Amino acid sequence: MRQGVIEENAGGMWLWLLQRLTAVVLIVGLAVHIVATHVLNLGELSYDNVAGRLAMPLFVVVDFALLGAGIFHALNGLRMVLLDYGFSGRSKTMLSWGLFVFGVAAFGYGAWALWPWLTA
Amino acid sequence: MPEATFRIKRHNPEKLDDQNGTGDDRYDDFTVPYESSLTVLEGLFYIQENLDGSLSFRYCCRAAVCGSCAMYINGTYRLACQTNVRHLDDGPITVEPMPHMPVVKDLVCDMTDFFAKYETVMPHIIRNSAPPEKEIIQSPEDRKKLDMPVDCILCGSCYSSCPSVWGEGNYLGPAALLKAYRFEVDSRDEARKERLPRFDNERGSYRCHTITNCVEACPKELNPTEAIQWLKGAAVRRRLLGRAK
Ligand code: HEM
Ligand code: SF4
Ligand code: FES
Repeated sequence: MRQGVIEENAGGMWLWLLQRLTAVVLIVGLAVHIVATHVLNLGELSYDNVAGRLAMPLFVVVDFALLGAGIFHALNGLRMVLLDYGFSGRSKTMLSWGLFVFGVAAFGYGAWALWPWLTA
Repeated sequence: MPEATFRIKRHNPEKLDDQNGTGDDRYDDFTVPYESSLTVLEGLFYIQENLDGSLSFRYCCRAAVCGSCAMYINGTYRLACQTNVRHLDDGPITVEPMPHMPVVKDLVCDMTDFFAKYETVMPHIIRNSAPPEKEIIQSPEDRKKLDMPVDCILCGSCYSSCPSVWGEGNYLGPAALLKAYRFEVDSRDEARKERLPRFDNERGSYRCHTITNCVEACPKELNPTEAIQWLKGAAVRRRLLGRAK
């Protein structure tokens, strides 16, 4: 084992904990999402009905939580997988920052799509 | 007299620079007669004494307590001294060194990294308070928590079987982390900041993705995965919730 490896790889608790917490958000959020859209069939399938539902405070909260949790969970999961392919030191830092920037951009794009229902 | 055929994977480091540079890797068959019962380790002794004196393997206690003789026997991690050929399937008995490990010779693996990682987690009781007059008292309930992890004999089977170790040579691996757990759950241990950063990092507990190959591999039927999950939780309990242990 190379000297200094443990020191270079300090941390990891927050990412692990957030992976767990976002997994819980995904279970609950996806359940709400699937039940509301596919099981309950609130009203008929029309633009006004869907728009009305998307603007309800509960769905605004659920949708933003799902957006954030989904992006974090997927990209952090991807990072875990990629770390098995020899990222360490500088390349590991670059990988983490790359995924972070991509995640923020993806969240911004998603928020932009959800924005009209926030202000509706 | 019954006979057992041993099909043994050979590797000779002195032949590493031969034509194909493979260390003369091959499988050799040996026929071993026995009376009523025979362990794989006894079979290896017979071969070494009577058929091929160059066969190399590790052993010490012959009683499943030292962990030296872990091998890949018929595609399963087993202790050679604890494996009776009567309990194996008919046909040749394949004996290989533990896979995914550097091989020194024949069935002998290089355990340098394995033990370096074991030492990394400070595998000993750490005390910060003044020593008591007599022994350090431990309740039977607290002792019970050690029942599983103290049975580890550092054979390396779990370590050899772990895909996270294959992928990342600097990952501590299941045995070292199980050892960290063994001291972290010990009521006599008072380590607060000493051991924690050694397992709570991305080459420590967080590199475990609960694949559980180690649980299947362990010849002592221990559960390193559960211990590692406990360590992940322990870091949260101690760093975020301020618990002493
Ligand atoms: C019901 C929803 C989900 C739950 C409960 C869940 C749960 C989890 C948990 C607990 C982990 C941590 C594993 C570990 O500690 O090593 C994890 C890792 C991961 N998740 Fe999810 N997840 C869900 C959905 C998703 C989705 C939708 C994706 C993909 C877009 C995903 C991709 C990943 C990946 C790639 C990992 C890393 C695997 C690894 O540990 O190597 N998950 N998930
Ligand atoms: S946990 Fe089991 S397989 Fe791993 S080193 Fe200890 S005894 Fe061997
Ligand atoms: S020789 Fe000690 S465990 Fe087999």
